[in-house]
Amino acid sequence: MSAHSHVEGQLPHEPEKATLEGRNKILGFWLFLGGETVLFGTLFSAFLALRHQVLDGPTADELFDLPLVALATALLLTSSLTSVFAIHALHTNKVKALISWLIVTVVLGLAFLGLEIYEFTHYIHEGHGFTTSAFSSSFYTLVGFHGAHVAFGIVWISLIIMQLMRKGLTVVTAPKTYIAGLYWHFIDVVWVFIFTVVYLMGKVV
Amino acid sequence: MAHAHTHTVKRHSGLMDWLTTVDHKKIGILYLIAGGFFFLVGGLEAILIRVQLWKPLNDFVSADTYNELITMHGTTMIFLAAMPILFALMNAVVPLQIGARDVAFPFLNSLGFWTFLFGGVLLNVSWFTGGAPDAGWTSYAPLAGTTYNGQHGVDYYVLGLQIAGIGTLIGGINFLATIINMRAPGMTFMRMPLFTWTVFVTSALILFAFPALAVGLAALMFDRLFDANFFDPSGGGNTVLWEHIFWIFGHPEVYILILPAFGVISEVVSTFSRKRLFGYSSMVFATILIGFLGFMVWAHHMFTVGLGPVANALFSIATMLIAIPTGIKIFNWLFTMWGGSIKFTTANLFAVGFIPTFVMGGVTGVMLAAAPADFQYHDSYFVVAHFHYVIVGGLVLGIFSGLHYWWPKMFGRMLNETLGKWTFWTFFIGFHMTFFVQHFLGLLGMPRRIWTYLDGLGFNEMNMISTVGAFLMGFGTIFFLLNIVTTAFKPQNVPADPWEDGRTLEWTIPSPPPEYNFAQTPLVRGYDAYWKEKMDGHSGMTPAEPLGPIHMPSPSILPFFMGVGLFIAALGFMYAPEWGNLFGSFKMGYAVGIVGLLVLFTCMVLRSVIDDHGFHIEEDEILKDMGGKA
Amino acid sequence: MASNHTATEGSTKRYKVEGPKKAIISFIFSVLLTFLAFATVISGEINKDFTYIILIGLAILQVFIQMAVWMHMKDRGHTFAIIGILMGVFIVFTCVIMAEYWAWW
Repeated sequence: MSAHSHVEGQLPHEPEKATLEGRNKILGFWLFLGGETVLFGTLFSAFLALRHQVLDGPTADELFDLPLVALATALLLTSSLTSVFAIHALHTNKVKALISWLIVTVVLGLAFLGLEIYEFTHYIHEGHGFTTSAFSSSFYTLVGFHGAHVAFGIVWISLIIMQLMRKGLTVVTAPKTYIAGLYWHFIDVVWVFIFTVVYLMGKVV
Repeated sequence: MAHAHTHTVKRHSGLMDWLTTVDHKKIGILYLIAGGFFFLVGGLEAILIRVQLWKPLNDFVSADTYNELITMHGTTMIFLAAMPILFALMNAVVPLQIGARDVAFPFLNSLGFWTFLFGGVLLNVSWFTGGAPDAGWTSYAPLAGTTYNGQHGVDYYVLGLQIAGIGTLIGGINFLATIINMRAPGMTFMRMPLFTWTVFVTSALILFAFPALAVGLAALMFDRLFDANFFDPSGGGNTVLWEHIFWIFGHPEVYILILPAFGVISEVVSTFSRKRLFGYSSMVFATILIGFLGFMVWAHHMFTVGLGPVANALFSIATMLIAIPTGIKIFNWLFTMWGGSIKFTTANLFAVGFIPTFVMGGVTGVMLAAAPADFQYHDSYFVVAHFHYVIVGGLVLGIFSGLHYWWPKMFGRMLNETLGKWTFWTFFIGFHMTFFVQHFLGLLGMPRRIWTYLDGLGFNEMNMISTVGAFLMGFGTIFFLLNIVTTAFKPQNVPADPWEDGRTLEWTIPSPPPEYNFAQTPLVRGYDAYWKEKMDGHSGMTPAEPLGPIHMPSPSILPFFMGVGLFIAALGFMYAPEWGNLFGSFKMGYAVGIVGLLVLFTCMVLRSVIDDHGFHIEEDEILKDMGGKA
Repeated sequence: MASNHTATEGSTKRYKVEGPKKAIISFIFSVLLTFLAFATVISGEINKDFTYIILIGLAILQVFIQMAVWMHMKDRGHTFAIIGILMGVFIVFTCVIMAEYWAWW
């Protein structure tokens, strides 16, 4: 099961796929993302079914502030690009560049998360609590699940940065970094649908 | 990767070995023990249900207890008995059938087991803490909401299934990756044994169906614990949404259950007919088609909701379509047996008994698929008879068949054939007695999920027959347990190919297999790899690699503690309203919940930062094994 | 930009590290598509149903580009990744139809 046939100290190209363990990880992670697609799809469909049930609470049109959403989108989209640069650094075996780009990604992710927390507290002051209506419950659940994924990704990538600093880029750390990158892109992909379906479509009256 | 061959890993023994094992064969046995235990619990609940219904106006259990019994019987049998026992067979057999030394993710495999177990235990703890879930295994809103269900019963359902579901999802991903990436050289997709194929499709269904359940359960949990409004009409919620989400998961779930049984039957029928499986590629095609169609028929559980004629017609037609690939399978099994030299071992008796029984369940399925007729059958005992014919008559007979067939491979001991035949005949006759009459009870108008019935409706005799049948099934199970116990005292001396007609790779290695399964990875030259070598006059497989040290993953206690963490967290959040405050207005229950989650996340961090170098089994040790057993 | 190396053992094919050029082009496309989506809504000139169609179309296009380039789905060896995602999308599609047509009907 071990495929460490490369010379010690010399990293193979695409080190994330050099071992069977690495290839298993990447494949398994892609399958997991397929499952995540269904997870978010179900959350989206619950939101779609319930989005007009606002009762006495504010409607989507009254609530959402497009500049804020645009800023959040810009942050997450840029962080997705920086994680592409990180994976590029991984493929060219530049550990320092890899770590730096990952740090930039984490910082952008934190900014996104901060913005989302600000947004949620703002909505609660507007009378849009979690228990206000079916619209509010499904909104917070969908966007909150995404936010929780961002938070999880931040912790995960931070752990990977620590490991890269300690152990360097090896056939063990490479696949971990690679799948964390996939995860981060997936978060961005989900966000594309969130800003489209939740915010923009909510603004169309 | 700095690992010397001298790297030593602590290898545990006794209880610690079972708690920390990442060996798929041992995890398979753990699944079998846990699933078997829950099967007995669910079976006991079934017996109690039948005792309550054996005569009109019986008061053996109260109406509330009866609701708890039917809910827990369904939930336990589906999630905690049938699926784990299937996972037991999958773990025990699939890596061997594809010529792999292990699964793709041994650590996750163990994690899947422990989360399933702690989820299942959590669900059953409810019996001792003031009331089990009682909203039916489907937990329809608003009955499952806090308005009608203020107790904690449904909280246990929501959280227990959520935790057990995580384990199942992990298992599904693991088997997909294993089958895609870990096949031996020459084992192409179209040379895989049919059981492996069905496990592959079932795992895909798990992957795409369970996230929907996770969302549904999370939403119901938010409704119950945090006053959300998903399924609460007074808050703008929609109760039908729960039915949709549940059945978008729930219908694929029944195919998740039955497909591996199809696989078992294919292997057993082929082996004991001494013939190649008839129409192998059509079988593969039918399996994939059933899996795919399974996602497009969920609303046939909801015909009477009133989705309108267009939706009902669409789902009606889609449902009837499934009869086509299923019919292909039935004919292929019959043609496999046609002209074969059939041996009626216990395993084959169960397989042969499966075929007509499952056809009967399929026929009533097509009857139920006709939407206008369904308005008559809906929520009557006709439905109960139908799904027990496919789940017990299909899946459970398949499981018994598979267990008798692979028992010598798993444990190195043959089950007693005489006791096995007693098991089959009592269980089989008991099954048909219990459920055949229920078709007619349903047509006479006996509704399902009722606590009792009046005298003089014509239900009495058939209910009595049904109860007697249930006891016979209980005796069948007892015979099987007896068989297991007596077999356990026999010497472990079974040869590699105990049925002498083994066709697939698992029969080329010792029973039970060594830790590393294959001393040398075999080279596969065709479908029914071992049979092909036998026909070509070879005694075994051609190895695809020289003998050498074998790398193994190290055992780990972390999965066990991750299960414990989830269990604690669930209890904490569930009981937050009752347990009072820790300090200020911060609830004690939340503190407990956070501690549980901290245990979980600490384990995850440890797993991430500590590299698992594994260990090597050296050549001389392998040679010693081979010398001892060959 | 791209540097060439010989491939890992056992393969004679040349391995090429893909430059970040494609990634940057995809980024520009993503920004453009996002901008178009926001502009469509802010201008408010197009009727509701047609706006929905445009928005969903733009989102799908953007996600397609990101998955193909950033997540390397266009590269070889991604058969099962594609099957997995497509199967997921198919189920999401049925879920959305459910939510739109059969939850309240």
